[in-house]
Amino acid sequence: MIQIARHVVLLAAKDLRIEARGRQTVGLVIVLGILIIVVLGMGLGAGQPMSGFGASSILWVAYLFGGVLCFEKTMSVERHDDALSGLLLAPIDRSAIYASKLLTNLILMFSLALVVTPVAIILFRFDLSAHPLGFAFVMGAGMVGFAAVGTLFAAAVSSTRLQGGLLALLVFPLCLPVVVTSTQLMRMLFAEGGSLASGGVATLIAFDLMYLVASWLVFEQVLEP
Amino acid sequence: MTLALSSIEVPVASCVCATAAVSVRGLGKTIDDRDILDDLTFEVPEGSFVALLGANGAGKSSLLKILATLIPPSRGELQLFGAAVRSDATALRSRIGLIGHAPMLYRDLSALENLILFGRLYGVADPRQRAEQLLDYVELSHRASDSIKTFSRGMVQRAAIARALMHDPDLLLADEPFSGLDAPSANALERLLKRLHDEGRTIILANHDLSQSLAIAQRAIVLRRGRLVMDAPVGDLTQAEILAEVSAT
Repeated sequence: MIQIARHVVLLAAKDLRIEARGRQTVGLVIVLGILIIVVLGMGLGAGQPMSGFGASSILWVAYLFGGVLCFEKTMSVERHDDALSGLLLAPIDRSAIYASKLLTNLILMFSLALVVTPVAIILFRFDLSAHPLGFAFVMGAGMVGFAAVGTLFAAAVSSTRLQGGLLALLVFPLCLPVVVTSTQLMRMLFAEGGSLASGGVATLIAFDLMYLVASWLVFEQVLEP
Repeated sequence: MTLALSSIEVPVASCVCATAAVSVRGLGKTIDDRDILDDLTFEVPEGSFVALLGANGAGKSSLLKILATLIPPSRGELQLFGAAVRSDATALRSRIGLIGHAPMLYRDLSALENLILFGRLYGVADPRQRAEQLLDYVELSHRASDSIKTFSRGMVQRAAIARALMHDPDLLLADEPFSGLDAPSANALERLLKRLHDEGRTIILANHDLSQSLAIAQRAIVLRRGRLVMDAPVGDLTQAEILAEVSAT
């Protein structure tokens, strides 16, 4: 297990080093996220105060599209010059490749959230003061489930020519339970004055675990050199 | 046991001549209802240099990918160094090196960073030192810190060879390693393969150039439409005989 963890860190560090050199993914994803927020702001009428429930719905749109771009870009690094085959030839547990990609995607998505969320707070005057930590926890947990499914399907479609469109088509419906659960939790927190000590959090974590375990188990089967 | 070569001390697996490096029995691969490989049976003793020959689409690359454990066979048995690949693939991968069509390197990392990364994945004791030695071995020391995307085709191929040798594999599989190389680079690679064989490694080389293959290999295996049609020592065959088998319909 320690050996797998070492490989996960090694491969994620490699991905982040490549990203740091080009800054292609994080730059694109942040610009896309801000564009989505601005377009939604123009459509929905920015400037009027919005509750945490509304905030989570708008932010999810930015996170979903930004996330798909992250998944695609981090996997395309492995397809250039067939670097993936180099990894598949190594005597490592192939689930380490999945875990490293998931870790990289989560780091990139959290970077996106760190930039896009404050922009949305300013633009929409989101009022998160009632439960700022609850908001962060629910959105973070939602992202884990989304990234778990997205990382798996990015590997599956990376060898096809359809890529972007196909990935979004596959991942969006599958991560719907996570998105719906997190927005319902937000409604409970901000609109109904409830707390996180409810069944909703357990449901969200259960979805995360289910997606993580299923993706971990299936990942090796979807990898094609 | 070690052999001094250039500036490197290259450990060489002690020869257990009774063991076959590769043992294939009734092996086949079917993709989309098409038999890419069918009923292949052969053995490659440790320390041999085998030329894998055949026309385009004969199944050479698929066979090498199966031997490298990159793709599983659809049927049949494959043993490497006496162990069944089906049950022991992860452990066996540390004994296999593959030079493929693509370099299998990260273009945004330097040659040294690539080799250190793969060295760590293979559990090489001192990956930096080994990487520096190998870059010297393939005459790329002067470009060690440059990213792969700045390399010429020949330099990329040499870096790929260094990657394949990083963990000192006992079995080296080379799939068209000469393609795209200029004459000096091809000659250097040919010398390198001979040297690696002299050090005791088992080499299986898929190559289009018949005369080049026959000049460096000890044995020729010819595939035609996924089936083995010839398996004989190079000395027993003429180029015309092999060419007739390769190009027969």
